[in-house]
Amino acid sequence: MKGRFRPSMAWLHTWSGLVVGWVLFVIFVTGTASYYRADITRWMRPELVQAAPVAAAELPKAAERAVAYLETHALKARTWFIGMPQPDRPLLDLFWRTRPGAPPGHVLLDPHTGREAMVRDTEGGDFLYRFHYELHLPPLWGRWIVGFCAMIMLVALVSGIVTHKRIFADFFTFRRGKAPRRSFLDAHNVTGVLALPFHLMITYTGVVALTTFYMPWGVTTAYKGDTRAFFAEAGWITTPRPPVGRPAALAPVGPMIAQALATVPERLERLTVTNFGDAGATIVALFEEPHGLAHTPTHIAFDGASGALLEIRGGDLKPAAKTISTLIGLHVAHFADTGLRLLFFLCGVMGSAMVATGLVLWSLARLPKPDATPSFGLRLVQALNIGSIAGLPAAVAVYFLANRLLPLGLADRGEWEIRAFFAAWIVAALIPLARPHRRAWSEMSMLVAGLCLAVVAADIATVEAHPLRRLGEGEALFLWFDGAMLALAALFAFAARKVARHRGPSRSEPRREPVLAAPAERACA
Amino acid sequence: MTPAILALDLGLSFAALVALCLSLNRHHAEISGTRPSGRRVALLRVLGWAGLALGLLVAGEAEGWSFGPVRWVGALSGAGAGLVLLLSYRPRLVAPAGAAALGLALAGGALLHVA
Amino acid sequence: MATRDRPITLRERASVAGRVVLAAGGGYGIAALSAALLSLALPLARPEAVAAATLASFVLMPAIVVAVFAMRSLRRAALMLAGTALVLGSALALAMRGAP
Repeated sequence: MKGRFRPSMAWLHTWSGLVVGWVLFVIFVTGTASYYRADITRWMRPELVQAAPVAAAELPKAAERAVAYLETHALKARTWFIGMPQPDRPLLDLFWRTRPGAPPGHVLLDPHTGREAMVRDTEGGDFLYRFHYELHLPPLWGRWIVGFCAMIMLVALVSGIVTHKRIFADFFTFRRGKAPRRSFLDAHNVTGVLALPFHLMITYTGVVALTTFYMPWGVTTAYKGDTRAFFAEAGWITTPRPPVGRPAALAPVGPMIAQALATVPERLERLTVTNFGDAGATIVALFEEPHGLAHTPTHIAFDGASGALLEIRGGDLKPAAKTISTLIGLHVAHFADTGLRLLFFLCGVMGSAMVATGLVLWSLARLPKPDATPSFGLRLVQALNIGSIAGLPAAVAVYFLANRLLPLGLADRGEWEIRAFFAAWIVAALIPLARPHRRAWSEMSMLVAGLCLAVVAADIATVEAHPLRRLGEGEALFLWFDGAMLALAALFAFAARKVARHRGPSRSEPRREPVLAAPAERACA
Repeated sequence: MTPAILALDLGLSFAALVALCLSLNRHHAEISGTRPSGRRVALLRVLGWAGLALGLLVAGEAEGWSFGPVRWVGALSGAGAGLVLLLSYRPRLVAPAGAAALGLALAGGALLHVA
Repeated sequence: MATRDRPITLRERASVAGRVVLAAGGGYGIAALSAALLSLALPLARPEAVAAATLASFVLMPAIVVAVFAMRSLRRAALMLAGTALVLGSALALAMRGAP
């Protein structure tokens, strides 16, 4: 291997990056968007934006209304999840699963009346968030694919660092005027190196976020595979309580919630009710995590039959458990305020750009001579590049557009938004196959820009509370969101112009000066 | 006091990165049209690294040693992205922008001190 | 460096591909074995041992990948991994017999 170490690493970097690149791009983009998951959800439920927040004093009554609804509609379910009203969603969010495999129940209630809320059916930002780690596949498949890609990403990062030997000298170098291959290599290096701490952190912590899913073997040997027992002993959750088998009525929930609210200063996020109707019924109140890097939300468990407080968990973790909580906290960045969130978002954008430029670089490095026909592999990669790099933003824009344009009374409206997302993506991935490659790039980029503008137009046209319709009054969220859409439109319009104006990939004239290709390219050129 | 800390972190990171960037021959030529002398390179490097270290110290002291480093790394990446874009589109503005960033950092520091 | 401009031969590519398979499968296998073993063997409270062992295994896996690519030959890398797996596996068997 002596003397061939760097070329091998370059080869590894090129090919490991290529095989998982498209999935990584999708993971990066949806993950970056997930930093604003709550805002996206709020934007997608415009009728709620100006609803008054629910006062803490009303929460106990709201919880009782939720339980009353579930008693009539979800009696058979083993576990109920009651999302309590939040600033970004002043509604009760009920979720239950009757048995594995059956579709779960899900409904939003007005916390003041206990009736189903008059709000459009949408998955909101949660769809993008779940896509980030499950790819809209069955969870088992999605998570393993994402985890595999994350491990390959770590390998690509390490081999990329080894390959990039002028890492400090080229730290600031971005030569935009040169041959496209040169500019793309610079952009790939700069976005990779500048945000390298973020890329390493986010990839590693991403694997750790599903730690016992990917690496359950410690739990297998030490806990005989009982993950919940491990979580409880480590102090993350309250002790699981199995059903006793003796029926018992549920004590009133309101006093328990009032007691929990008096005990913990943070915001109440969710209730979990297990074994309803059994003497072993348990109610767990989950609170927002205290301010800090670590993701350590407080749990309080109550005995369902007597209403007695059983235990309080969270906060005081031992070192190893605390480390895991901190790593997960870093990944989800709940602690980030506006400024830091923007920086994390920017780093995510750089990560997406790093993956995208890497993918394009692969195809640029393999452009055939002018009179030769491109190989099937090259054409496939080119088509997949457009289908993901332009196709995903197009699909996301169509998802937002569907949220504004589908009729409000449509059955399964939330599902139709998702269908629109995938339909748009499939179309966006097929169009490039029928068009010349560079034309396809500029046309698809223009298409994305146009779709983003359409989202803004639809937003202004359909939302009564939009500030532009109320002379600056109204909810600023719409302005921010539309501003982000305009920025995205500008980015893709700029890219489209660049591609359209460029004279051609340096095949019109023979190369005079030797292109200083990095080993990553040179080794496989 | 988030805006003050953010201004301090971003300003200091940007100024330090400008110093490091100026210490490289190619970028020095892009920015000012001349090659830097050996002494100047050494000075710029010392200033740059000192600025980065100071940024970490300030961030850690101002916000505690759990949040501080996270914000410092974030600010460094953000400032670096801004610098690279400025360098490739308006290289002549890099030096004034570095000075302005230093001013911003000082203003943020003063605000933090007052509060 | 003249050698670097020479295109990589098919044989070398196969060797790298072999390393990829070895690094992925062997890396995960050894990380899993170490997580299982250390969860039992670390002198910590049970949840702490499991948490620490699992975290360590996520560091071990990339380390093994790098080691596999740094070894001089594929055979040597395979032997190293097999040896490590054997040691970890027998230690795990002992630990599991010891554990109730």
